[in-house]
Amino acid sequence: MSERAPDRRLPAAKTDMFDPGGANTRRRNRNRRLFGWATGLPILLATGLLAILLYDVVTDAFSWQVIEPNNSGVSFSFTDGFRFGGTWERVVTLDLLEQGLSQEEIDETLLDPEARRIYGARNRVELMLWAEGMPLRYVVTSSRDRHLTDLTLAQGFARRSEMEAALEPGQLFVLNPWLDIAFFTKNASRTATMAGLGPALVGSVMLILLVIAMSVPLGVGTAVYLEEYARDTASTRAIELNLSNLASVPSVVYGILGLSVFVRGIGLGPVVLAGALTLSLLVVPVVVIAAREAIRAVPGTLRQAAYGLGATKSQVVARVVLPNAIAGITTGVVLAVARALGETAPLLLVGAAAFVPRLPDGILSIFTALPIQIYAWVSENDVEFTHVASAAIAVLLAILFVLYAIAFRLRRRFGRVA
Amino acid sequence: MQSRESVQPVRSLGALRLSRAENARERLVMGLLLACAVITILTTVAVVFVLARETIGFFLDPAVTLWAFLTDRTWTPLFSNQTLGIAPLLVGTFLVTGIALVVGVPMGLASAVYLSEFADDNLRRRTTSVLEVLAGIPTVVLGYFALLFVTPLLQKVVPGLNLFNPLSAGLVMGFMILPTVSSISTDAMQAVPRSLREAGYGLGGTKIDLVMRVVLPAALSGIVASIILAMSRAVGETMIVSLAAGQRPLLTIDPRETIATMTSFIVQAATGDQPAGTLASRSLYAVAATLFTVTLLLNVISQAIVRRFRERYE
Repeated sequence: MSERAPDRRLPAAKTDMFDPGGANTRRRNRNRRLFGWATGLPILLATGLLAILLYDVVTDAFSWQVIEPNNSGVSFSFTDGFRFGGTWERVVTLDLLEQGLSQEEIDETLLDPEARRIYGARNRVELMLWAEGMPLRYVVTSSRDRHLTDLTLAQGFARRSEMEAALEPGQLFVLNPWLDIAFFTKNASRTATMAGLGPALVGSVMLILLVIAMSVPLGVGTAVYLEEYARDTASTRAIELNLSNLASVPSVVYGILGLSVFVRGIGLGPVVLAGALTLSLLVVPVVVIAAREAIRAVPGTLRQAAYGLGATKSQVVARVVLPNAIAGITTGVVLAVARALGETAPLLLVGAAAFVPRLPDGILSIFTALPIQIYAWVSENDVEFTHVASAAIAVLLAILFVLYAIAFRLRRRFGRVA
Repeated sequence: MQSRESVQPVRSLGALRLSRAENARERLVMGLLLACAVITILTTVAVVFVLARETIGFFLDPAVTLWAFLTDRTWTPLFSNQTLGIAPLLVGTFLVTGIALVVGVPMGLASAVYLSEFADDNLRRRTTSVLEVLAGIPTVVLGYFALLFVTPLLQKVVPGLNLFNPLSAGLVMGFMILPTVSSISTDAMQAVPRSLREAGYGLGGTKIDLVMRVVLPAALSGIVASIILAMSRAVGETMIVSLAAGQRPLLTIDPRETIATMTSFIVQAATGDQPAGTLASRSLYAVAATLFTVTLLLNVISQAIVRRFRERYE
């Protein structure tokens, strides 16, 4: 730059440039403001896109529906408050009374966890708001109900009176919040109303725990080696170059690696462990980069002081460097976890199942995960599953926002600007 | 690394010499840490080995020739009459990538100019957080958004737009790569020294002159690197295209048609049940090898640009 000839196209200094009130200065200031706004616009757009995405997800997690209860009168409405457990038990009790059971038999049934699960799966109890004649009342529906229409939140509000007027006897116009308490515990189902996140949540938690257990030692170990031990040799440079390339290998390629090596190569099959191994390899570069930055920020004087006290190199690393770098490393790990939580393609390739009927019971059982479940539900050709997908996305995004908030707070607290 | 050589423990003083046991422990720790670093190398080796083995198997199959792979205009490995020309997948990939770049690069550069030249520290920190969150939205969520929000919206404006189309996938992907372009370009622009800016002002330049003729040219290597890196991310992006762009390999550059990309074919082939070792299963590896080569090349180019064309201001 410095050797370059001065650009002759730059306007020559004008005599009025020191005249703050002059027309030229005013024009310059206006242009400068316009330019500032124009360059800031994409940030507004990006923020707007985020807002629209959130709005879309949240409103899509609700829908107005006309349902036709098809369960011999087991459709109750409650006006007595918002008690989840209590409401559920009253519903099941009433359901069983209809079937002719005595109160003792019902009490016994309710103590049996398997029976509770079956009734929980059949009766969607928690919240479905009956809109006919305000105020809203809770409605119990079951998998046997027919769902006749499906309107979005806005449409439903706009056409509520019209829809209510057109109801036939036995039909209800309800507000169906797909994201309710039961959604978190229900198992997978072919019926949208009955489908829940249970196996996906458990699968994702297992994956994340395994990923942390594997990628943190590997990533931090690599970072410590590169920062504290490695000399500047060709092989060190090769490791660094390799890491920066690994960070930008498409995640689907990691999926192919997982499929070929873990699933088929060592014969694990499409199990939790294979998914976790694949995701761990995927996030190691993220952990390494964050950990290296954190280790580099530890002042050399601390190390020298420790050496001066007679510490060996491994003691310096374990008792001085790592404790001082822990905040930065934690930030990196949280971001890596957020990445692993949302990754879909590698798990699809490793063979995470779209339909897991029950909870995974160990690291060698087949599994599903939040993003896989979302992909499966979005791919379903059914508008009701769109709402289920939205509800699942809302859960995933909420978890991610919490993780990001933690990461940002850690970074701010420990005074390091990324 | 080199700068800390002076911090090495002094071993020449007899009193400070490590005992044999201590020495062994130190070696063990170093060995373990080195093993961690070696595993990261092994990951790459394993990727290359896996892709190469199956791809060679693919090309050794009598039904396949490299020439046909590169020149055939149809891609139907999952059908009974297989033709294996990768052109539709490559064109599909670069069509989506092109749309994403057209959307993402101008916006990313503009926001980088804003962050580096106009925003104060507080605003910059907040905005960077927003962009970081945007970058952290899982792509399956963006795919859902493209398919169920953007596509219905575009169908009202664009006549003849298919339900699955590269246009909405590319648009949303543009927002996905915006943070990549923006953050790397911001760093490059902020690295332009103050003296250059002051010289520009001293010559009577306005803020716009300064951005256009001083900051952007001086930061050009970082900007180009950020664009290439964003391109590499767009090429390797899987879930947005799988959900929103479709899985029908078609050699076209019409952004309204349903197409397939390399990544969406990989997902399609892997989620179907192709028995291992068949040509259809191996075609997946051949596509993945092509994808890996393209992204690797882009990364190498981006790094080379940064190294070679970085302006040094000492």
